[in-house]
Amino acid sequence: MLRKAMGLLIIAALFGAWLMGCRPAAPGPITLTIIMEQVPDTDVIRKMLPDFERENPGIKVVIDAMPYDAMRDKILASFMAPKATYDVIIVDNPWMDEFVAGNFLEPLDERIKAIPDYDFEDFVRPVREIGVVGGKIYGIPFYNYAVGLIVRQDLFNDPAYQDAYQKRYMKSLAPPTTLEDYVRIAQFFKEQSGGKIYGVAMQPQRGYKIFEEWKNWLYAAGGDLLDEQGHVIIDRPEAVRALELYITMYKTAAPPNSLNWGFDEALRSMAAGEAAMMMSYNWMLPTLNNPQGPAGALAGKFALYEVPGGKAVLGAWHWAIPRNAPNKDASWRFISWITSKRMEKQRVILGGAPVRVSAMKDPEVWQKGFGQSYYETVLKILEDAEPLARGPKAEEIIQVVGTELNAAVAGEKTAEQALKDAAAQVRRILGR
Amino acid sequence: MARQDRRLGRWMVLPLILLLVAVQGYPMAFAVYISAHDYRLTALNEVRWVGLEQYRGLLGNPSYWTAMRNTLVFVFGAVGLELLLGFLLAYLLWRPAPAQNLFRAILLTPMFVTPIAIGLMFRFLLNDQLGIIPAWLRTIGVEIDWFGPNLALFSLILIDVWQWTPLMVLLLLAGLEALPVEPFEAARVDGASELQMIRYLVLPLIRPVMLAAILIRMLDAFRVFEYVYAITRGGPGERTETILFHIYRVGFLYFRLGEAAAMAITLAGVIFVLVVLLFRILRRQEAIA
Repeated sequence: MLRKAMGLLIIAALFGAWLMGCRPAAPGPITLTIIMEQVPDTDVIRKMLPDFERENPGIKVVIDAMPYDAMRDKILASFMAPKATYDVIIVDNPWMDEFVAGNFLEPLDERIKAIPDYDFEDFVRPVREIGVVGGKIYGIPFYNYAVGLIVRQDLFNDPAYQDAYQKRYMKSLAPPTTLEDYVRIAQFFKEQSGGKIYGVAMQPQRGYKIFEEWKNWLYAAGGDLLDEQGHVIIDRPEAVRALELYITMYKTAAPPNSLNWGFDEALRSMAAGEAAMMMSYNWMLPTLNNPQGPAGALAGKFALYEVPGGKAVLGAWHWAIPRNAPNKDASWRFISWITSKRMEKQRVILGGAPVRVSAMKDPEVWQKGFGQSYYETVLKILEDAEPLARGPKAEEIIQVVGTELNAAVAGEKTAEQALKDAAAQVRRILGR
Repeated sequence: MARQDRRLGRWMVLPLILLLVAVQGYPMAFAVYISAHDYRLTALNEVRWVGLEQYRGLLGNPSYWTAMRNTLVFVFGAVGLELLLGFLLAYLLWRPAPAQNLFRAILLTPMFVTPIAIGLMFRFLLNDQLGIIPAWLRTIGVEIDWFGPNLALFSLILIDVWQWTPLMVLLLLAGLEALPVEPFEAARVDGASELQMIRYLVLPLIRPVMLAAILIRMLDAFRVFEYVYAITRGGPGERTETILFHIYRVGFLYFRLGEAAAMAITLAGVIFVLVVLLFRILRRQEAIA
């Protein structure tokens, strides 16, 4: 009898629990999950989140930050799922066309039009155009990583170096504007310092890194990856010249055994006072000039210029909304908030890499940020800059060309052979 | 009764077989299926049958052959060195010595660390800017570019040897300790030298264990990925691009799963052939002995 009663009691309890579970959920806050890279620009966004959550009660933002290598497959897995893991993603420029071609991203034109004072045209044109595919906007610029020339200004201003250079070359010593000068000045610093200072810190690492550095040389030599009609022209004589000069530079003026260096090794070398110049991301300058940063006592002695030849390689991250994201309105609320003129100014003052012209021309930003000349140089760099490669096959093209370039610097092939092989592979990739 | 038992036994292994089919058979069959298609994750609505096209493409793909060659060099280099060192160490540890267990335990530690951590460790230890090993070498006037084009693959082999020789020691030592004592006593009475004992007694007697050890290490070495991923990313050029890293690149960076699956299947074929060859060699030697 007792057992029967107990049994009934348990059944009743279970039924009650089930009924409780059936209650409609209260309209709780929406949580936006954003995939981001573990970099300083993400920390800047983190600092701004409390403001967003205060201005938008009901939306919580969670940042899932990870190393670069983990991002691409996570994003793709999220695209494949019935409901996206990530409400907002950031897209590296080589992935943009590929993701649009796969029909993974939400077009944003209508949403942009709905905000009257958004001013999309205010984003620097080359950066803005990365997010525009087939006439539609899929990505809103987040931050740029265009390449500039960073030099040790104190060495260039040193009268001893100036006199020696004047005597030897009948020219005054100034940051280089042509490839020949770049190589000559780098060699000069190494010889003149008796090998204590290398002329240049390079990033000849296989893949993205070497292509990112060398393509500036290619532009300066008058070459490109593709011509206007989309033909592969990376095996032309000007490209061969650019690569031969690059190899000469590596062999005569860069630190030995730096064939595997990427930008962090090059940065370390500059910060240690080991090298006089490097081509790297423009936002490396504030890092180097930060007295609490890696350069220590050398902070303040670095300056940023346009790369020799003027035209630079452009890298940029864009915000985007996956098509399968569940709360697109909330996702857009966040993106439009963080990329608004008001918040862009805030972000740049906090140390984020700028993408809006208005922020780079704002005296308040100059004063609270890194100074007028820095932002003016960055704007100049951005206005004449182009991504490494475009199209749905960009990622693979970059890897393939970057492998051939690295093989040429390693001495496994001649510059001409490496570029011929690179061109053949790019043609194959584009033809597939 | 016995027959009934057997029938019951068959029924009882059925769940296991079903599980194996589900978690192993199905993915493998699916890999074969997509290797016969133009299967790209970014264009899933354009998947089409291409027959053996993926495999034919591999024939004319120099990167694939380079990766295959690098992998074979890595496997034979690493396993060969590990066998040699492992045997010497096991032989030394075989005889009773004071604090013998302590030595054995210390020797085994590298095995307990995950390979990706080992990769990162050596990336910094051998780093030309920061590494302590190049710094020490420099004090005695030696300049070695560990990850330069000539040495990079060899450096990876050394790292593998550092980590996995202990496994070889462990297996061979177990084999040595299981050997009968009598032949050795007899040999000693007959006045055999140490080398003669190794040559005519130890080696023939532990050959089966050695084969098992080689097989285990070889299958494992084919899967080398972490060191490459953590240190060289396949560079300089394609000097350390191993087949598994190449498959990862094509499959998960370029999202061409069909091509990646075709490569994986050829890799399985190569391993299969090597294993069969190894068994053949062993059989023949046993027959001779």
